[in-house]
Amino acid sequence: MSWRFGENAVVHPIPVGLSVRANEGQAVRAGEVIAAGTVLGSPIRVAGARRLGVAAADLPRVMRVATGAEVARGAVLARTGRRFARAASAPIDGRLAHVRADGDLEVAPIVGRWAVRAVIDGTVTVASDTSLTVTGEAWCLQGTAAYGPDAIGELALIADGGADELVPSRIDTKLRDRILIGGGRSGAEAIARAHACGVAAVVAGAVPAAGLRALFGDDVDAHGLATRADAPTVLCLAGFGSASLPEALYSPLRVFAGSRAAVHTASARLFVFAPADAAAMPATPPVVAITDDWGAVRAIEGSVTFEPSAR
Amino acid sequence: MTSATGLAAPVDVGEVRITVGRPIRLALLVGGDVANLAAARRVALASCADTVLAMRGADRTTLIERASALRDARADVVLLVAGVGADELAEAIRLAYGEAAHPVVLVSGPDRGRARLMGALAALSAEAAPPAASSYGRDALVARLRALRRPTGDAILRDESVEAAARALAVATSRAVVIVDTGSETTTLAFSAADGSSFAASAHVGVGANADRVVARAGIDRVRRWIPRAVDTPALLDRVFNRARRPEAPPGSALTLALEMAIARESIAHVLAECERAGIDLAPVRLATTIVCCGVPAAWPRPQQCVLAVLDALAPETLLVIARDSDDALLRAVGQGQRTAGDVSALLRPVAIVATLSPRRPQKITVSDASGPVQAEVSRGALTLIPTTGAVELRAAGTTKATADTLELGVVLDARGRPLALPPRDAERIPALSRWTTALGVLPEAGAS
Repeated sequence: MSWRFGENAVVHPIPVGLSVRANEGQAVRAGEVIAAGTVLGSPIRVAGARRLGVAAADLPRVMRVATGAEVARGAVLARTGRRFARAASAPIDGRLAHVRADGDLEVAPIVGRWAVRAVIDGTVTVASDTSLTVTGEAWCLQGTAAYGPDAIGELALIADGGADELVPSRIDTKLRDRILIGGGRSGAEAIARAHACGVAAVVAGAVPAAGLRALFGDDVDAHGLATRADAPTVLCLAGFGSASLPEALYSPLRVFAGSRAAVHTASARLFVFAPADAAAMPATPPVVAITDDWGAVRAIEGSVTFEPSAR
Repeated sequence: MTSATGLAAPVDVGEVRITVGRPIRLALLVGGDVANLAAARRVALASCADTVLAMRGADRTTLIERASALRDARADVVLLVAGVGADELAEAIRLAYGEAAHPVVLVSGPDRGRARLMGALAALSAEAAPPAASSYGRDALVARLRALRRPTGDAILRDESVEAAARALAVATSRAVVIVDTGSETTTLAFSAADGSSFAASAHVGVGANADRVVARAGIDRVRRWIPRAVDTPALLDRVFNRARRPEAPPGSALTLALEMAIARESIAHVLAECERAGIDLAPVRLATTIVCCGVPAAWPRPQQCVLAVLDALAPETLLVIARDSDDALLRAVGQGQRTAGDVSALLRPVAIVATLSPRRPQKITVSDASGPVQAEVSRGALTLIPTTGAVELRAAGTTKATADTLELGVVLDARGRPLALPPRDAERIPALSRWTTALGVLPEAGAS
């Protein structure tokens, strides 16, 4: 667990209903939309190949709109070119969501829109209809677990040290769209207040597990939860309960304060977009370990003595 | 009569590396009735795949919802079982993945129904498999899934080895055998009867890296109920979550040791619950006369820790021997295919003879060992340990019920009743748990925190 400047790859999964996406080789900036699409409602099945009198394999030959295209009610989806023409038309406004193996068509109404934003400055290296990979250089700090949607914003330090707790009274709407560094511990109350104030994300040494359950539901576990829902973004750097961050981890954050940054929740990483020489890192990485009752995480600095286990 | 004798010449165990294997995220898409879903779940359990999605053709969800759920599940393998509604599920697979990179798709079913689905999924290079509900179909699917988990062609999977060990022990001892293997990431339960019938079930829950999943699935209260002291639930959650992210940390206090034991119990209970969901009859498991502990519980330094955890989790209903496979000697021997070279039971360390009793009035049990006979009176609700040295004989009502050449611990008389019921209130439950742990000397007394 240490700061590292280098090349990082970030995979962005794409939901069903893709309309447009970035192509391989395209340069992107953190926060930029790299894929957009629609949330689809209950689809309506339209007789396709069998209505047109063609084999399912021949349907693409007579299609008039591409799969995924937006269509208006009554629009011709497919049509045979004979004198006595047969056509399949859209029963509703929506999108041609899917062409079935048997040649029938699925038209679904549009009930919402979604967008996927890059969380790192870089280049799209892998692009498909199910995921995009963006690779770029940035300072990276690997956390233990992250929860909520990805977040992009300016780093703001509001704790005085690596052992301090994020106090709700220090959070207000002036911190909107910032990524807050909350010291050693952030409680559920502070995180909820930060979300209400429009804060992009909260980064802390540890967050109480019960607080995470209160914020994200009882199914949440220690391995994080990446979601697209409207929820706070939380990055636990060291663990759960309470923690004290080692100075080697915390001091670079003082230097990076004010820089653009992003939290990728699926991989629990904090990216800071600052020059490679912006901060000096110690030669040996800091060590953190859980306490003997497993209830907290502590930085190990100085000499250490080991005691036998309780078994 | 139960016996822990017959230790033959030890098997020469060479260097064999047993691996948990790659975790496989499996999505079950099942057409037809609930029996098909149970069969698919049984495949997942037997192959130690992590079921991330279970969807039936009869579910009232739209094509879009199904495709979205499938894509969000990030499955490595999709198992599509033919039956009513399977065509719709096949369309969901096509919509979810299109022509993009897709997981391995296995289509299971009778030839006719399967052919139609294979045609629909031709672009996804679907693989055909026999019906999951048949024993040969299940074996074929399990073999395929295990092959996907195997990091190298000659690697020995831990769950596979546990299953083989149960079969080998049942053959060697002519008794019904249960092997329970609880590790950091997975828990496996394998049963084999003397007549050759057997099954294995694994789940991605454990006492280390997947300890948090035990809490997510069973609930923190079910873990908390096994700890013999008052514990604050939020603090307990923090401990479990920290443990999951640092599974290498040993228990540093009596409380964390009790927590590790509690998670082990609930991990085993979770596998049993999954077996019931998959339609596996658990009655033979509770009547098995030999239980072997592997993995983390077998490595606990006090044998009584392993005995109590297994007794609480499995709740056996008969007279049995509990043994442990420390250092994975049994699993490595079986993995190496040496079971023909010697008696694999020689690799086990018999820990205790356990007599499960439900006396209406105090019952007299006589235990004889190298120090002479000891008579114990067992009352309803009691858990008693009689430590032994040398050869052991257990007699009740004048007849010999069990013998052993030697036992690590002794004879445990369990009269707590079945099913084992824990009082819901802390004020009643904690004293009961304390009595049991004290009776067996499970937890260290000094340094408790």
